[in-house]
Amino acid sequence: MALLKTTNLTRQFGGLAALSDVSMEINEKEVVGVIGPNGAGKSTFTNVIAGLYLPTSGKIEFKGRDISMTLAHERCHLGIARTFQLMRPLHGLNMLENIMMGGLFGKGHSLKVARNNAMEICQFMALEKVERPISAMTALEIKKMEIARALATEPSLLFLDEVMAGLNKDETMEMIETVRKINGQGMTIIIIEHVMRVIRELTHRVIVLEWGKVLCEGLYEDVSADQRVITAYLGEESEC
Amino acid sequence: MKYWKYMIFAVCVLVAISLPKFLGVYPLQMLNIIFIYMALAVSWDMLLRSGQMSLGVAGFCGIGGYTTVLCTINLGLNPLVSILIGALLAGLIALLVGYAVLHLRLLYFAIVTLAVTEIFRILVRNFDITGGPEGIILPNAIFKGDAAGTYWLMLAIAVFTIILSWVFQKTRIHFALTSTANDEIVAASSGLNIFKYLVIVFVITSAIQGMVGGAYAQIYGFVTPESSFSVNFVLLPVTMVLLGGSNSTWGPVIGAVLLSVIAEALKLVIPYGHLLVYGIIMIVAILWLPGGIYGIFKKIGAKAHN
Repeated sequence: MALLKTTNLTRQFGGLAALSDVSMEINEKEVVGVIGPNGAGKSTFTNVIAGLYLPTSGKIEFKGRDISMTLAHERCHLGIARTFQLMRPLHGLNMLENIMMGGLFGKGHSLKVARNNAMEICQFMALEKVERPISAMTALEIKKMEIARALATEPSLLFLDEVMAGLNKDETMEMIETVRKINGQGMTIIIIEHVMRVIRELTHRVIVLEWGKVLCEGLYEDVSADQRVITAYLGEESEC
Repeated sequence: MKYWKYMIFAVCVLVAISLPKFLGVYPLQMLNIIFIYMALAVSWDMLLRSGQMSLGVAGFCGIGGYTTVLCTINLGLNPLVSILIGALLAGLIALLVGYAVLHLRLLYFAIVTLAVTEIFRILVRNFDITGGPEGIILPNAIFKGDAAGTYWLMLAIAVFTIILSWVFQKTRIHFALTSTANDEIVAASSGLNIFKYLVIVFVITSAIQGMVGGAYAQIYGFVTPESSFSVNFVLLPVTMVLLGGSNSTWGPVIGAVLLSVIAEALKLVIPYGHLLVYGIIMIVAILWLPGGIYGIFKKIGAKAHN
């Protein structure tokens, strides 16, 4: 049984269909890449699955249960966690406290348990000096902290929305290793990414979106050679 | 060393409890006023930590005041018990209002809470049971007007509010409110039921305001639509929080002490002129003291620490 299954998922903003008729399945322990040009509906897809937007029509099933109309915090409780395209640290809390959020409210842990779990995750993510305020952290650390916050909710599905954006080469390498380690622990991961190297190195399967629709899906090698995908990214030959 | 803060607080409370032995009626009444506004300012700040601003402080004070007076007069209840009932009713009304409007944010929520104040003020003005425009006078003030008794009552309410504010800062409520103020999308994605926490905090802080209003009515022995729902009950605590420093327990406490003392001194020099001074202090605090007085202390402390 698929961990996540969407059937004809559609989300409209006014007259614009940011997602239309998206049907897909994500299996357990899989790493799936979602790619597509700007405006293809990748972020809307994340937001609809994570519950920030409710679908206009269609169905989302998670662990065999229809979750189409549940709210964001309820989906977190069910086991869907995410990071954000733009960094969104909570400035009123320090690094460790940011990560504790996941345990406190995602799992309902006590302060003590949430704190211990957050410390463990920090170690796993190689985050140091955990009591630092956000203003004293680097971009890479903030991104890692956001993944840690998502992990602290003890999810079964993790969305990584452009976690590599803005990182330099070494940092990207480090991040790829981290994601691989997380998947190694049995986590199902959906990666939304523009950096194709990341998709190539990490994903078992790629889904390509264009204009809110699934253009094609398959192995990275097949998808990246697909003429429709190349056209979608680069435009028609005459335009080049 | 970790507990020195609590030790100092405990010593302060003990000293405060013993004060009626040494002070006359006037300073004690002055302290009553300080405690009243301290409890209001701290409770207002407790909700503000979520980014939501209630302008219904006067409304809940009035609801608490009228409830306690009606309970004492019509049901013959003990004044202390009726103060608690006033707090409960204020909390209940906050629950209904909060449930209906806590999906609103910022200005919209603030205006609705202000409207609630007006609705209840107009209601008590027009019902016979609440005494119409003249209000109700109690046959006896609480503790027969004993200065020490009323002082201890207000001290207890102020200390209770400060301790509750601490609890808010030391428990998961702190995480819930801070994350809600910072970024609601991240908070919800981390599993936080924002609405639930906002309602809980709005109910608790409004109940405190109802309790303060109830105690106020019992101490002075009367309620009227204009004095019990006075705009001072919302504007003064707001000014005190801005001056003292929001998002803390000690900021509002400092603000309440300072402004109450300043107002009392000014009343003697320029009657009613103190209201003008409040306005100026509010503007100065907003323009040049974004973190309030407590914020300056914290900055100096952080510098010294480094």
